[in-house]
Amino acid sequence: MNQFLPCLAALAPFTLAVAALAGTGGSARTVARNAIAAAALAFALAAVASLGAAVVGAGRTPLLGGNGLGLSLQLDALGAILITLVSFIGFVVVRYSRNYLDGDPGQVRFTRWLLLTLAAVLMLPISGNLVLLFAAWVATSLALGKLLLFYDTRPAAIRASRKKFVASRLGDAFLAVAALLLYVQFGTLEIGSLAAQARSGAGTGSALVTVAALLIVATAMLKSAQLPLHGWLIEVMETPTPVSALLHAGIINAGGFLVLRLSDVLLLATPALDVLAVVGGATALFGSLVMLTQTSVKVQLAYSTVAQMGFMLLQCGLGAFSAALLHIVAHSLYKAHAFLSSGSIIDLARASWTPSPGGQPHAARLILALAGVIALALLTGLAFGMTLRSNPAQIALGSVLLMGLVHLMANAIDERPNAFVIVRAAVTAAGVAIAYFALQTAMAWLVGGSIPASRPVDGVVPMLIAAAVVVSFAAVTVFQNQMMRRADAPFWIAAYVHLRNGLYLNTLANRLVLTLWPRSATSR
Amino acid sequence: MTQAALAMSITATDPVDTATDARLKECIDSACQRVAPLWPLKHFVAVNPFLGFTGQSFAATAATFERVVRTRILMPRAFYRQALDDGRIDDAALARALDIHPSVGLGVEQLKQQARATAAPSSPPAVVATVAEVLDRLAEGDRYVSLVAFMIDEISAFCAGYFDEGQASWPSPVRSLKPYAAWRRLAAYDRNPEVMGLTGFRNAIAELPADPVQAIGLIITRLGIPERAVEDYLVRALFDIGGWSAYARYIGWSAERDGQRDDTLVELLAIRLAWGYALFQARTDAAFKIAWAQAMEEAAKLPDDQRLDDTPELAVDLVLHEAYEIAIRNQLIARLAGHGTGAAVARLPARPPVQAAFCIDVRSEIFRRALETAYPEAETIGFAGFFGFPIEYVPIGHTRGGAQCPVLLKPAFIVCEAVKDADDVEQAEVLGLRLLRRRAAKAWKSFKVSAVSSFSFVETAGLGFAAKIATDSAGVTRPVPSPVVDGLDPEIAARVMPRLAPGELGGRVTGFNDVQRVAMAEAALKAMSLTGPFARLVLLAGHGSTTVNNPHASGLDCGACGGHTGEANARVAAAVLNDPRVRDGLRAKGIDIPADCWFLGALHDTTTDAVTVFDEDDVPAALAQDLARLKARLADAARLARLERSALLGIPDKSAVDAAVIARSRDWSQVRPEWGLAGNCAFIAAPRSFTRGLDLGGRAFLHSYEAERDDGHRTLELIMTAPMVVANWINLQYFGSTVNNAAFGSGNKVLHNIVGQLGVLEGNAGDLRVGLPWQSVHDGTRLVHEPVRLNVFIAAPESAMDEIMQRQPGVRDLVVNGWVMLHSLGDHGTTIRRCVSPGVWIAA
Repeated sequence: MNQFLPCLAALAPFTLAVAALAGTGGSARTVARNAIAAAALAFALAAVASLGAAVVGAGRTPLLGGNGLGLSLQLDALGAILITLVSFIGFVVVRYSRNYLDGDPGQVRFTRWLLLTLAAVLMLPISGNLVLLFAAWVATSLALGKLLLFYDTRPAAIRASRKKFVASRLGDAFLAVAALLLYVQFGTLEIGSLAAQARSGAGTGSALVTVAALLIVATAMLKSAQLPLHGWLIEVMETPTPVSALLHAGIINAGGFLVLRLSDVLLLATPALDVLAVVGGATALFGSLVMLTQTSVKVQLAYSTVAQMGFMLLQCGLGAFSAALLHIVAHSLYKAHAFLSSGSIIDLARASWTPSPGGQPHAARLILALAGVIALALLTGLAFGMTLRSNPAQIALGSVLLMGLVHLMANAIDERPNAFVIVRAAVTAAGVAIAYFALQTAMAWLVGGSIPASRPVDGVVPMLIAAAVVVSFAAVTVFQNQMMRRADAPFWIAAYVHLRNGLYLNTLANRLVLTLWPRSATSR
Repeated sequence: MTQAALAMSITATDPVDTATDARLKECIDSACQRVAPLWPLKHFVAVNPFLGFTGQSFAATAATFERVVRTRILMPRAFYRQALDDGRIDDAALARALDIHPSVGLGVEQLKQQARATAAPSSPPAVVATVAEVLDRLAEGDRYVSLVAFMIDEISAFCAGYFDEGQASWPSPVRSLKPYAAWRRLAAYDRNPEVMGLTGFRNAIAELPADPVQAIGLIITRLGIPERAVEDYLVRALFDIGGWSAYARYIGWSAERDGQRDDTLVELLAIRLAWGYALFQARTDAAFKIAWAQAMEEAAKLPDDQRLDDTPELAVDLVLHEAYEIAIRNQLIARLAGHGTGAAVARLPARPPVQAAFCIDVRSEIFRRALETAYPEAETIGFAGFFGFPIEYVPIGHTRGGAQCPVLLKPAFIVCEAVKDADDVEQAEVLGLRLLRRRAAKAWKSFKVSAVSSFSFVETAGLGFAAKIATDSAGVTRPVPSPVVDGLDPEIAARVMPRLAPGELGGRVTGFNDVQRVAMAEAALKAMSLTGPFARLVLLAGHGSTTVNNPHASGLDCGACGGHTGEANARVAAAVLNDPRVRDGLRAKGIDIPADCWFLGALHDTTTDAVTVFDEDDVPAALAQDLARLKARLADAARLARLERSALLGIPDKSAVDAAVIARSRDWSQVRPEWGLAGNCAFIAAPRSFTRGLDLGGRAFLHSYEAERDDGHRTLELIMTAPMVVANWINLQYFGSTVNNAAFGSGNKVLHNIVGQLGVLEGNAGDLRVGLPWQSVHDGTRLVHEPVRLNVFIAAPESAMDEIMQRQPGVRDLVVNGWVMLHSLGDHGTTIRRCVSPGVWIAA
């Protein structure tokens, strides 16, 4: 195995850290210019190392340390994809910040913490040992904390950062204990060795491993803002937009990365994956329903992230690991753009202030669309011989895609059905389906060597989860269609109010923070 | 018990007789009148934040704001101290300022000493404390502990849902009700306040009367607000949620403009009071009860007039501010008076080759000067950028359009956008295609943001954003299509133009008939003092800005066109004035436009300084050379203007100015694409010869006006009641956003979070924000806008201005109460006198 590529990749965070620590002197503009150069170089290094890894295969450095503890680097498909992604978004964000923060008295401080945060995040995917990974994990959170409190006199920023601090430190503790348990069980924290031992079946049925797996899953859920401790994420708009972009695109998905990185170990303890699937699925539905009611663009985007991370963790829980990775990458790019361009909402509004270009929804549209899609699903399932028992993940995730397509089709069928619009929607739906399968296949092929293809289907729990996914997502599809119709009935008003308030979970968290951690550092 | 029964039982226990009722309504009405409207971001126009206070003097308003609203409308003391230390305020200015405010009773040296002392932090007691303020005080200013911040967040969230223009996919289900009823409906289900610890919230709200005015009356009684403090209490409550109050006032303003009545603001006031009442009910502890009783006792004790005088620290700041303005004004007056006239005029030929009219906007001053340098024979004219054509401009595929005229007016005509040289079949095709594309886009958007399909969207379309991020970053693409051309093919977009011919749209008459055209043309030309001789080419240049990803983009467009670009108005005006039948009609009225004269509609891009000339194909062949020369000169002028602006934009490399300025207009991360109207401090209505050749640094509104041509001073009256007032609104918007951005500005642009597609929040919650972002007045190291009230200079007889002030109380108030400084320009601008009040003019 070559050692050169992981070292080359490690130069990327190294460059950023050097730029952050060295760039004390000089004007804000000079610091910003140097930061852009460093971020560009880091992106180039990450991209070249990743391409190299794609050509010559994964690489790993020997352990600097002993007894399976210490520093080592690795670059596999998972790591290569993530460092390319993060360094790309990092470059865009650093470049964006130059003009965006121009004239801010804290621009130098901002730029330096931005670079340090990026450096810490980039260390995560190339860490070969859990010790290094843990260090990068904590460093990411601490450096990000500085950015979230960039305007440290804003009471709302302080409150949100306190909530995040609690969630993060809890996660750190879980991860540390999990690592300790793994070390006791396997005698090493080298990620490669852990995976190899797990794949060979060592530790199967061990209570230690099960507890470790549950802790890892809990760490991931805390990092990726899952229920019920999601509140901090929707309140960190108290910091400049580029931080939101980086957080939502590059950092929030670290939970998913952790699960993928340790997926071989987690496969030894499927109850942990079941927990992940349940919490992730619940968060996905919660987040996407609350999102519908939100009126400000950034909070809406934040709830969307909560939901998307839930869905990604649901995929992990169902064992669709490569699908989860695809989700991480695609969501990052989408969300980075959505945040950076969030000032353009008014342009969109100006373009479409004719209230409704089409007619009212067609009364029977959902039935029509559902019927078509169910027929399609049955045919496809039969053709491939899949059942809920044998292929729960495929059935569950496939259904979610199909329900998405139902929505797309249903929207095209309104009071004045128009052949052009319907055909166009059908073509779009077909295009979406083709893109979906092509991308899934491509991603599975890309990461075939570095993360498992699926989880074992053991017992009825996966089947129950898959069935629950199908039923609940279908229910939400119908729910969303219905709420428009009878929105002023008491039930729907109540549903609206409760969902608009995020089921009061965040208010409760705020009240606890106010009681248990009172007095803002600065009062207004 | 039904709500009606509840309301009745309360009325029975708390009898409200009709006299108190009338008095209450009066208080509510006059409190609501204090709030200035806030236009939504789709067509954001400048508003005077002190609009409700122009009936009292600037100084009294400063006191009212400090005592009633607890808000400052002056710079911090340190700012004036710095100006003293830098020598920008001299002793003479201090002495004159003290003359204006003799009641302060200080000498210059004493005043300087006071200025150097740090202002005592003790702000005077409020005229009346609200529940929120007493709670804040008990929580030692922590608005999270006092739950006042929570209250504001909750009211703001309700308003955002209620007024949402389309951000939420699941709109608030109670929008068909009036605001107060809608809020009560939702509050019946809302556990949020109780989860936060406000026990009994739902009950407290349910018990209130269903009628907002009755509810306000009941709450005032229950809280025990003394009668003399009621209005102040209401004002204070409205300013606690100043942003949404301002938006509610806008809704009322629009309704009034259309001749309707609207009490959205009263409803909002009821919501705010009900919240305070719920906070009051939830606190049963002795500390609060005692503090509240004390506050009410104090509010009852002191008569209001006595309390407004007693603010020595504020008086010092007021005098310092006055001195600061005097120093700046003196320089301006010296430059204006010292500017030799005659020399510049002499060079102009009797019939110039080109007359170019621009908006009075201060940004035009730079460009006009640049054009006069590049094209010395050309004459430039300043006029409100809607060129006298108040239109509603309806884009293709829309049924209603934006009002493209100053917000003080109501559009008189509807003009539809159409495709040039297209027959009915093509028009219908273009329209149909745009609508279909909108529907497809809507379906795709729904796929993107719906509860379940959003997951499929991300997995299939997400990767595509890699390319989009790259091209948007590089400025090659816009994050979203420009609203102007969205859904149109580029070839069609280039052919889009206003259609003047009479028609009908959704039952409303569009276009102009011949009689209307002649009348409009005559009025516009006279108002511009442009009645001949006419040049061969007359350019009518509206203006607009080019920015990307900027929520406040429309605020950089033309205020005289209601926060839109002036393109449509300029093109309509030019087309009408080129109409041969209009010219016949004008000739009959004594305005003879020669056959070899052509009007050109154009658009000045204030971000890049490029000027686009429209409908060139229609220009007669005989004028082709003139047009080519004009376009070359416009390009030269654009380069000069960009070079001049580059210093303020902080572009160090003078060889790359053009590229840098244009890059700013395409940069999605740019928070200062241009400086807008920052720096504005003067309004000059005079012949251009008074100012031609004088560098006013892009800080003056220039209105062309020739008193000799003005029959009965009707144009003068128009100028003083419309453009001068609009300039005053803009000036005070910048003033407010500069002196106290937290209260009158929209805060830090990097935290802006667009809410309801109509305004911005700063951060994740809080009140709707009004005014300008801090970045629009400050460059990071210094204020680019100096907070100076508008200095108006008009070359007209003082007696004529006196008469107009007597006829127009609004104008009189502005002048007498010190909201503008009115000056007369005599003897070709060399004698300048200031108006103290109608009939009293003193040497400036």
